[in-house]
Amino acid sequence: MRILLEKLMANYPYFAAVVLFTIGALTVMTRSNLFKKLIGINIMESGIFLMFVAAGNIRGGAVPILDEANTKSVYINPLPSALMLTGIVVSVSVTAFALALIVRLYKSYGTTDAHRIAEMRNEVSER
Amino acid sequence: MTAAITANLPVFVVIAPLFVAFVLPTFARRMRLVEGLVIFVEALGLVGAGYLASIVLAQKGIPIIYRLGGWPAPWGIELEVGSLGAFFLLVIAGVSLPVALFARGNLTKEVGSKERVTRFYVLYLLLNGALAGMAVTNDLFNVFVLVEVATLSCCGLVSARNHPRAAEAAFTYLILATLGSTLVLGGIGFLYITTGHLNMGFSSQELGRIWQDNPHVVWVAISFMLVGFGVKSALFPLHLWLPDAHSTAPSPASAILSGLAIKGYLICLLKILYNVFGHTLIQAFAVHRILVLAGMVAIIAGSILALTQDELKRRLAFSTVAQVGYIYLGLGLVNTKGLTGMLFYLASHAVSKSALFLAAGAMIAATGKQSISELAGIGRKMPITMAVFTVGSLSLVGIPLFSGFIGKWYLILGNLEAGNIIPVAVIIIGSVLCAAYLFPIIRTAYFEPVADEDWQDPGLPQKISLILLAVAIVILGVLPGPFLELASRAAAEFLVLQ
Amino acid sequence: MLNLILALSSGVVGGLIVAMMPQANHRLRNLVVLVFSASGMVFSWRVAQMVFAGESVKIAGEFGGLAWSLAPDPLGAVFGLIASTLWLFAAVYSFGYMAQKHKQRTYYTFLLISLSVTLGVAFSGNLVALYLFYELLTFATYPLVIHERSSEAVKAGSKYILYSLSGAGAILIAIVITYRWAGNLDFAGGPILVGCLKPGLSWLLLLFVGGFGVKAAIMPLHRWLPAAMIAPTPVSALLHAVAVVYSGVYGILRVVYSVFGHELMGQLSFASILPWIAAFTILVGVAIATQQDVLKRRLAYHTISQLSYILLGAFTLQPWGLTGAILHMISYSTLKVTLFFCAGIIAEQTGETKVSRMGGVGWSLPKTMAAFGIASLGMIGMLPLNTFWSKYYLMKGSVAGGRWPLALVLIGSGIINALCFIPTVVTAFSGERVRSDTEQGGRVALMLAPTMFLAAISLFIGLWPGIVWSGVQAVVDWFF
Repeated sequence: MRILLEKLMANYPYFAAVVLFTIGALTVMTRSNLFKKLIGINIMESGIFLMFVAAGNIRGGAVPILDEANTKSVYINPLPSALMLTGIVVSVSVTAFALALIVRLYKSYGTTDAHRIAEMRNEVSER
Repeated sequence: MTAAITANLPVFVVIAPLFVAFVLPTFARRMRLVEGLVIFVEALGLVGAGYLASIVLAQKGIPIIYRLGGWPAPWGIELEVGSLGAFFLLVIAGVSLPVALFARGNLTKEVGSKERVTRFYVLYLLLNGALAGMAVTNDLFNVFVLVEVATLSCCGLVSARNHPRAAEAAFTYLILATLGSTLVLGGIGFLYITTGHLNMGFSSQELGRIWQDNPHVVWVAISFMLVGFGVKSALFPLHLWLPDAHSTAPSPASAILSGLAIKGYLICLLKILYNVFGHTLIQAFAVHRILVLAGMVAIIAGSILALTQDELKRRLAFSTVAQVGYIYLGLGLVNTKGLTGMLFYLASHAVSKSALFLAAGAMIAATGKQSISELAGIGRKMPITMAVFTVGSLSLVGIPLFSGFIGKWYLILGNLEAGNIIPVAVIIIGSVLCAAYLFPIIRTAYFEPVADEDWQDPGLPQKISLILLAVAIVILGVLPGPFLELASRAAAEFLVLQ
Repeated sequence: MLNLILALSSGVVGGLIVAMMPQANHRLRNLVVLVFSASGMVFSWRVAQMVFAGESVKIAGEFGGLAWSLAPDPLGAVFGLIASTLWLFAAVYSFGYMAQKHKQRTYYTFLLISLSVTLGVAFSGNLVALYLFYELLTFATYPLVIHERSSEAVKAGSKYILYSLSGAGAILIAIVITYRWAGNLDFAGGPILVGCLKPGLSWLLLLFVGGFGVKAAIMPLHRWLPAAMIAPTPVSALLHAVAVVYSGVYGILRVVYSVFGHELMGQLSFASILPWIAAFTILVGVAIATQQDVLKRRLAYHTISQLSYILLGAFTLQPWGLTGAILHMISYSTLKVTLFFCAGIIAEQTGETKVSRMGGVGWSLPKTMAAFGIASLGMIGMLPLNTFWSKYYLMKGSVAGGRWPLALVLIGSGIINALCFIPTVVTAFSGERVRSDTEQGGRVALMLAPTMFLAAISLFIGLWPGIVWSGVQAVVDWFF
């Protein structure tokens, strides 16, 4: 038990990533409000981003700029952070697109609740 | 000049559609120019893919490696056109050119205004570029980016029709697909953390050394990938978004979504499974059994769901769910015959299903009817459209002389080589069920009294496009020569690694 | 070579010409149908002549990396002869029967196309070609089955497709397994699986027999056949008594003698059960037939029973048994087509389809009922008819194989056959003499001529069996 706790303490960013991912996934699957679904997606993605960035961090490492004065020669890995920049851009575009769709749906149905929309659509198709 | 082009061809096939996609909106007022440009780019893509394929075939399996920016592998990003890459590039170009031709002068009615048509083409080309990228990329993070580009353009295509149902389908698709790509990104993250590489080759080597120390991480990475790509490629219980998305999209979009987009994700999964994890790990973790099982369930369940649909495009969409099952079944056959069959089936389904969707689109456009029972006697009124539909159906069912048969033949051979008996039976049952849901359409079309209405075959470009696809199905079924060669080489290469 | 191509293509070419002709011109269309059926027959005879003369006739090619070949051997030639000859009769009969019926163009188009496909099955030189044509036959004959377009016909058609495709699926699996084990699918050069003794062979045989057994209507795979009797009578006569069901029988003969070979078959435990399955089908089929009141359904169940005669002969794995099987293939087809043709004339001229209401029909249709009577005697296996000889050799084969109870089954089936048909003939002549003489007119003449002619042929073969003997002998020599 103690060993487990110590491992958790040492790797707390990953632990946080898992928690975020789970919260996000649950929100997407259980909430019927379209906005909340979208927020869930964003939380999920944040979890993954956190995991990547944490993987790149090396405790006690220097900024990854070649510096003659740096004697330790341990640098932080800059690649994951760079990758996540791309990831965030992708995430933002997804969010923007989803918001546009929500606006479109709200204009047609007057609600942002997925269940209500499904009901109204079925009524229309039955008629 | 030509030397510069041919040397950089692997990257040109990816960026040419992307580039034109961004230029396109400036010509938005001139519809004919836009359409001409799109078809021109697609034709160029076909020529490029053909040229690359001929080089790959001539080189006897040595892939063309292209270093972006000239940086060597562990640091720079690599593009690799091997047998698989050339094969899939050919499939992409071979399907997207006829689909673009079909869309010509035909979209305004389905999509709405001219500006929307231009936007449709922008998304279409973006999807094309992303798929070409998936075919040639050799870098894990690129896979994620390309998957996202493809997903966003697919969602755009689904919502292209100005209709609330389209927006709803697109939203569901967007949420589930993003869930999938987040899982994929997570899987890539685990791979990167354990191996320290994003290049597939290096990552695979590293993984081969260390996987026994961290089996749990490998397991988690594999399952993230499987579920992530499973959602995106509509593997049976994860297919919920597909029927709505594929049936509400405009017909050319349905064709490209069912025919190609799903195949792009499958190719990515294939690359990650066999090029990164490698067949030894797949067998060590029994992933191949999971894949075969999932495939069987998808074949049966998808077919039964398709049987219950009366709406033409929805039936075709559910049929895609079933057909994807065949490809998953093939993914799990760790032998040359099975993987050849899987690749060939993938190509065959890409061509056949786009032919079916386009023919269905032409019928719906001409009649305004959505349901199968209302299309009685349409075979007499629209002979070419219905003939192409029949060819596509025969191919899906797996009748000899059509492409699907060869794919099934190799899948069965592969299964027998792997010692699987039940999947063989499932493949055949799937064919019979496929006949059960497609032939009633043909019967209604040909053998029921002709309705007294003015239905007509679509215009010339649409006819040419349909006939091109039908010819492709027959050629793949009768003379698959170089195509089968590429597929079997790609399959052999997957098993040589490690 | 040229003869083979002409024999195979005449049906398809004729079918396409008919499809492109205007609806209204019946005379010209009938002429085209006649010419192309006749040319199909003539060239099949030429092919058969060459085959029996020992010349090799072969076309081969490749699709999708799979080699196919069309290379008739004596068995294929015999099947081709039976099919193409009867096709001509059925075509002439159709001119009478189909006059004034709807959708004639579709009917003749697919009738001719089916001729090509059936000949393709007959002349196939390896399993790939056999499978290809076998599968195509299902689709080529489907429009003929649903010709009525009623909901019942559509249902029967769906049943037909479903049964056939399931069977074809089993065959496909079996072919792939054979290919894996033997690496070769050609019929030429002895049995494919010779010297390939593996534990799964019995299962492979089961797959093959189950697959082809659908079209050969082995019980319990026979359900589609009575349902398909909804088709027009010439189609029922030709396809469901001869062409389609024979393609299944032919497939099983191929499997037994060209894929496994009689020596390998003799070592399989499953192979020793097969004659009993055939015997079961013989008895039960004909027993159900006696219970049917609708004449066409009675004939359908009777077909199921008779097909198993052929299979029984093949499954004995004796030269005499195979002789009987091939003889029965020839004899039975002529008689059964006669019976169906008579049933069609009765239904068309008097409107009666049920046996119980056919009292007195014989007086108004004397020639028809005479032909019917002759054919009935043949079905029992009486001496002046050709089936006597085939039954004789079937029994000889059964006894030679040490399975004498099978001979008893054949005798018993003959007795039930008598119960099945003799009362029908008696009723037809025993009712009131309502002699309205409905056998006049050109339309009936067109139907009556092929019927009488076929009955005469059956008698002729019965009296001089020597004329078919050389062909039968060639088949048996080829395999033993």
